[in-house]
Amino acid sequence: MLKSYLKLAWKVLWRRKFFTAISLFGICFTLVVLMVASSVLDHVFAPQAPEVRQGRTLGMFRARMTGEHSTSTSMPGYQLIDRYARGIPGVERVAAFAMPQTVYSYKDGQRIKSLIKRTDAEYWRVLDFQFLEGGPFTDQDVANGAFVAVINATTRDRFFGGPPAVGRTFEADGLHFRVIGVVPDVGILRLVANGDIYAPLTTAKTDAYRRELLGGFGGLLLARSTAAFPSIKAELESRVRTAPLPGKEWTKLIAPAESLFDFLAGNLFSGRNEDRSHPERLWAVIIAAMLLFSTLPAVNLINLNMSRIMERASEIGVRKAFGASSRTLVSQFIVENLVLTLIGGAAGFVLSALVLRALTASGLIPYAHFALNYRVFGYGLGLALFFGLLSGVYPAWRMSRLDPVQALKGASR
Amino acid sequence: MTRHLLKLVWNRKRSNVLIAVEILLSFIVLVGVTTLAVFYVDNYRKPLGYDVENIWTISFEKHAPGRSSVTIESGPEDAAAARKPVDRGFVGQRARIAQLMMSLRDMPEVESVAAAFVTPYSSNTWNSDIEVGGKHHRYGFNAATDDFARTLGLEVTRGRWFSRDDDGAAWTPVVLNERLAQEVFPDKDPIGQFVDEQRPGDSQGPRMRVVGVIREFRKDGEYAAPENFLFNRNRLDDPDVEVQPPNEIVVRVKPGTTAAFEEKAITRLRGAEPEWTFQAEPLTQSRETSHRLWLAPLSAAAVISVFLLIMVAMGLTGVLWLHVTQRTREIGLRRAKGATIVNIQRQLVGEVVVLTSIACLAGVVIIVQFPLLDVFSAVSPMVYGVSVAISLVCIYLLSMACAWVPSRLASAIQPAEALRYE
Repeated sequence: MLKSYLKLAWKVLWRRKFFTAISLFGICFTLVVLMVASSVLDHVFAPQAPEVRQGRTLGMFRARMTGEHSTSTSMPGYQLIDRYARGIPGVERVAAFAMPQTVYSYKDGQRIKSLIKRTDAEYWRVLDFQFLEGGPFTDQDVANGAFVAVINATTRDRFFGGPPAVGRTFEADGLHFRVIGVVPDVGILRLVANGDIYAPLTTAKTDAYRRELLGGFGGLLLARSTAAFPSIKAELESRVRTAPLPGKEWTKLIAPAESLFDFLAGNLFSGRNEDRSHPERLWAVIIAAMLLFSTLPAVNLINLNMSRIMERASEIGVRKAFGASSRTLVSQFIVENLVLTLIGGAAGFVLSALVLRALTASGLIPYAHFALNYRVFGYGLGLALFFGLLSGVYPAWRMSRLDPVQALKGASR
Repeated sequence: MTRHLLKLVWNRKRSNVLIAVEILLSFIVLVGVTTLAVFYVDNYRKPLGYDVENIWTISFEKHAPGRSSVTIESGPEDAAAARKPVDRGFVGQRARIAQLMMSLRDMPEVESVAAAFVTPYSSNTWNSDIEVGGKHHRYGFNAATDDFARTLGLEVTRGRWFSRDDDGAAWTPVVLNERLAQEVFPDKDPIGQFVDEQRPGDSQGPRMRVVGVIREFRKDGEYAAPENFLFNRNRLDDPDVEVQPPNEIVVRVKPGTTAAFEEKAITRLRGAEPEWTFQAEPLTQSRETSHRLWLAPLSAAAVISVFLLIMVAMGLTGVLWLHVTQRTREIGLRRAKGATIVNIQRQLVGEVVVLTSIACLAGVVIIVQFPLLDVFSAVSPMVYGVSVAISLVCIYLLSMACAWVPSRLASAIQPAEALRYE
């Protein structure tokens, strides 16, 4: 039975090539846009190497000092992380990293521009880098202020023209570093793990950062389990409240522990004096945007299917006259729509892969590697199936209840 | 004629509703993209306020090893925010910055040097607002040195820029841009006016007094909406005032200076201040980076909507084609009664025009809510108007083109053949 349905569906698709092409184009294009958008989001937020423990990591990404009359927002300072985030029950490790800074090196009259990220040694234990060469710097290196550095593959190529790099030295920002490890490139949008050069915190030109409450640092709190998140957040909040503020015109300081997604949502959607971030608002916007975008292709598909079913009134009439039941007719249309959607889905899958590969190769976002997101592909295909069925089955069902004589006459208004 | 067409459309309302919805959605998508484009074009045409060629910005990190951009929001009572001590050790820092500027000034390529909290295309922001006569005025804030106007080529339209004359004044000298000046003092000469009100019981520092007005200063560049701007004087040699020290230096170089200037300048600065980290960039390059950031969302939206419209056009053509084949008898009858091919085509295209008009009317009603409710306050009603007009033209052209192809098909119908079914 199914075999004859499939055969029929195939024939119908080929009979009207133009309409098949329109439907396929719509399904395919919708899927490609959804996939590309979601894999860009994934690239920024989803756990991926080296941030494999992102699921149980909280970050400190923002600090806001509020006074009677003004508000100053920036990244937290080192002191805030060092003094208040360490030793919270339920936290396994605390890492601090400075926001990447652009530094210049001059090599044979050419300028090399790199992002340098200064971190403590814990950073390498919270994140899980796969080293191409050598290894990370140690607590000892950080304590001694050793001028050693981990560099990424691209920086290795720029300075040394390829491997091996460990043991060789390079100049950046007027300082000389010895390479002790090489890691793969990390997408520049990965706020936590990106960087061209990773160096110990103590190689900073001054140690003024140690006394700063605000500015330039990010913290990572690796929890033993996600169950401890609420208590960690509450503990950090009450500790930060005890921090001495720089002047009496400042009344409040907040530096919440939150996920990167919450941080961004907070940046976008929190009011000037709101302490809480609103991840649900960002979710709502993303989902609304995707739904809104899918509406037009869906209406297009429904419209087309509705009109096409009228065209086939006489075919339905004949089949009814020969005793086909409504159920048989409806299942035939379901199979037809399934076949169409699956072909469109396959084409969309291949095309998305191509677009993502082109996007990766274009270097529009340095070091970014975009991968297909199978979960979103599933949702997109589900959505296409849903609209396909809705648009195909409803008119088919109405048509299948028509009087065969009427249907044969083609009176379908 | 129109009434007749309306009736025809009404008769087939069930299938026409879907077509109308499709046209409505396409219209809204089109308005969204064109609004963004028109907004950009509109902003681009307005004066920028400063020169871009032959100017370099040099930014420096003073303490943290990390790059950090600062966003400051000040309330109305804190108009003299620049005088608030945010940090200690500012006096020392200002003296060091003055040293750096001096060493840059010695370079033969350099014409002039200035420093400011915010420079063009920078990611630092300082927003504040003032209350004058019970009305709030929001503005971007900057604190700049005496040479800033000359270095960046700001055009002073009224009064003067900061100078030595302001030393020892009993007030804080400020310079506004024309936009803010006209907003606060619509029918007064702003020069010499105080922009903050002295309230009884206020023990604030000196009041802000306007010494000059500049044409414009659009910190975020050509594509951003112009905004109000207020400058404070940033004195590097005054040990008494606790002013937020500058974050960036701007340098005007002689025409023809090459990129090699950068290495020379950076080496010199590193020598003068080994503890700080410096970055130098020509303003033309900052502009390019900023343009890319502004244009990326527009180009992504444009590509997606072009594909959406292609899809809609194909779908619409297909649907209308099917409608024509279903209406063979009706068309045959009209032909038999003497209607010409042109008449038939006119009728079919006319029906689609009626449908499009209905959809666009609904669309305009929706779009009008945006300026009425002031959803995006930076976008002026004029921008919405122009983009709606452009979208209307596009949508009518698109739907008429989609109707025209099937209507040609209809004209090929032979009356005798069509009526045979009757």
